[in-house]
Amino acid sequence: MYRLTKDRALALAMLLLIAIMLVESGNIPEKTSWQPYGSALFPRILLSVIGVLAAVILIKSLLTQPSPTGAFWPAIKAYLSNNRKILLLFALFGLYAALLPLVGYIAATLGFLLLSLALLLGIDSRRKWTIILAVSGTLVPLVYVVFRFGLNVWLP
Amino acid sequence: MADFFLQALNQVGNPAVLALITIGVMFGIVGGSIPGFTVTMAILVVFPFTFAMDPVSGVALMIGVFVGGYSGGIVSGVMLGIPGTPSSITTVYDGYPMAQNGEPGRALGIGMLASFFGTVISVGVLVFFGPLIAGFSMNFRPWEITALIVFALTLVAGLSNGALLKGLLAAALGLLITTVGYDRNSNLRFDFGFEPLNSGFEILPVMIGVFAFSQLMSNLEQLSDERATSQRVDTKVAIPYRQILVDLAGQKLNTLRSSLIGSLVGALPGTGGTVANFISYDQAKKFSRHPERFGKGIPDGIVASESSNNAVAGGAFIPTLALGIPGDLPMAIMMGVLILHGITPGPLMFEQNPILVGAIYVSLLFGAVIMVICQLMLVRWFAKISLIPQQILVPVVLMLCAIGAYALNNNLFDIWVLFGFGIVGYLLWKAAVPLTPLILGVVLGNNLERQLFRALELDSNWLTFLTRPLSALFLALAVASVVFSILQNRKINRNLKAQGSDA
Repeated sequence: MYRLTKDRALALAMLLLIAIMLVESGNIPEKTSWQPYGSALFPRILLSVIGVLAAVILIKSLLTQPSPTGAFWPAIKAYLSNNRKILLLFALFGLYAALLPLVGYIAATLGFLLLSLALLLGIDSRRKWTIILAVSGTLVPLVYVVFRFGLNVWLP
Repeated sequence: MADFFLQALNQVGNPAVLALITIGVMFGIVGGSIPGFTVTMAILVVFPFTFAMDPVSGVALMIGVFVGGYSGGIVSGVMLGIPGTPSSITTVYDGYPMAQNGEPGRALGIGMLASFFGTVISVGVLVFFGPLIAGFSMNFRPWEITALIVFALTLVAGLSNGALLKGLLAAALGLLITTVGYDRNSNLRFDFGFEPLNSGFEILPVMIGVFAFSQLMSNLEQLSDERATSQRVDTKVAIPYRQILVDLAGQKLNTLRSSLIGSLVGALPGTGGTVANFISYDQAKKFSRHPERFGKGIPDGIVASESSNNAVAGGAFIPTLALGIPGDLPMAIMMGVLILHGITPGPLMFEQNPILVGAIYVSLLFGAVIMVICQLMLVRWFAKISLIPQQILVPVVLMLCAIGAYALNNNLFDIWVLFGFGIVGYLLWKAAVPLTPLILGVVLGNNLERQLFRALELDSNWLTFLTRPLSALFLALAVASVVFSILQNRKINRNLKAQGSDA
């Protein structure tokens, strides 16, 4: 029974990507009479290269016995319990991207900085609160002024 | 030559551009001095600020960051014993012991001046070899350029810490990313019926997403592994000027040799400051009359390390400007800046934009002077800034990345592109896939496809790639770099197995 490892997961993900892209490449218009090759040729060459490399990575990983620490699911479990803050930071960034057009730069960025700094620094002392408020309160207007008036870029 | 150099001097010498170089240098030093922040990250953060600038100002600002960044690593290396950037690892070997022996000012002073000489010598190498190589590459036709890009990508993939297959996979993925959207024949590819994908992905959000997220999150992971050792550091440093001048007077040959090594290594794709650093430290030790003193706080080690990693700055510009092929990540981003301003790096740049080429030379020189002045005057402040914790830095940089991605086209979709590629980059990094080949693939993808099809339109026979001598040579070198990398990986694995059986 084969176990899922990092390399096998990577190779399988790549093979899945290739399958999707190959199907989608069927929608690329065919070559015209004056073109020696069509627009689908270059991406198909790349998909073939990625396919061969992914297959070699998969075969190599199947031929070698994975170390007990290399097993995929236990590693994922350990990762999830050790790196909750990183996952939350990703989620906060996603939320930030979603809120930017809705509430505008100032509110969304202030919210993102306050929450992510609180997440990473903690809020168990007055000093940390001061740092979080000072960094967020200074940077948000500073970046706005630099982009809006210095670089003439309108922020949402 | 002298005429366009004077024009460039005139443009870069105006107070506004000099102020931009100074800002860039200071930000670069700060970026380089914060462990884990890296020169590349500093460049990525500053990149969006160049959008509204003219090409000379934008490039001057970026060069300031570039020069400052390579020299900034010395601050945390000497003060904390932690290299600020990977390219200053060997600086720690002698800089930190010297600081521990009560001479931090001497270690910093030697490093700063060596950085200055390294940059200046590398500019000399760039000025001499850049036009020569560009002149030679004017003869390149689409077959040669295609083969050269393939060679550069395989070389970078092969040098990816023993992960050749994953390096090649990353390069191919990077190239594939560039095929999304309308192609040169106005045919739509891989849009999946989703309109924002019609124009493809902008290089900048992809690069920032892939690199910044993986780098910042790995910094956070390391923090949770190490549980941040809080270190008390005395930042009151005085530079003993007379002493360091005496030290450097005895290091002329070492400075020249290390700077030339740095320039040469910088010009090779996929190498960069870290490789230059180790090679020149090793050479300095081999040529030394007292190699046993290396690692105990000797000026020779600091000079070798700092002059070589700063010399990479000038060397790395040679393939970027002369061939249009960036050798490493900072140069890939620099190329992005030039492309953004409507300038295509390559041999024609020397003919079409000689003033800009001159401005790059002059900015590097001014950057070196400003760098050494800033470092010597503000070293205490840089030492203090290098202590900023990652917990504060990471959210701030992520926010700047998001705003930078948006500011490119005032397009909120670019922030989603940044986020999406951030997740992809992080997952690939977790799977031990090297990211440099991917980013180079993204930068070179469009040119590779254009040149390949131009070649095939001129002659539809694929064998022409092998019958033209230079094209065949580049393809042979590409194959050789892959074979060499395979052999080297086998050797490393054999040694690891032997060590395992000994243990």
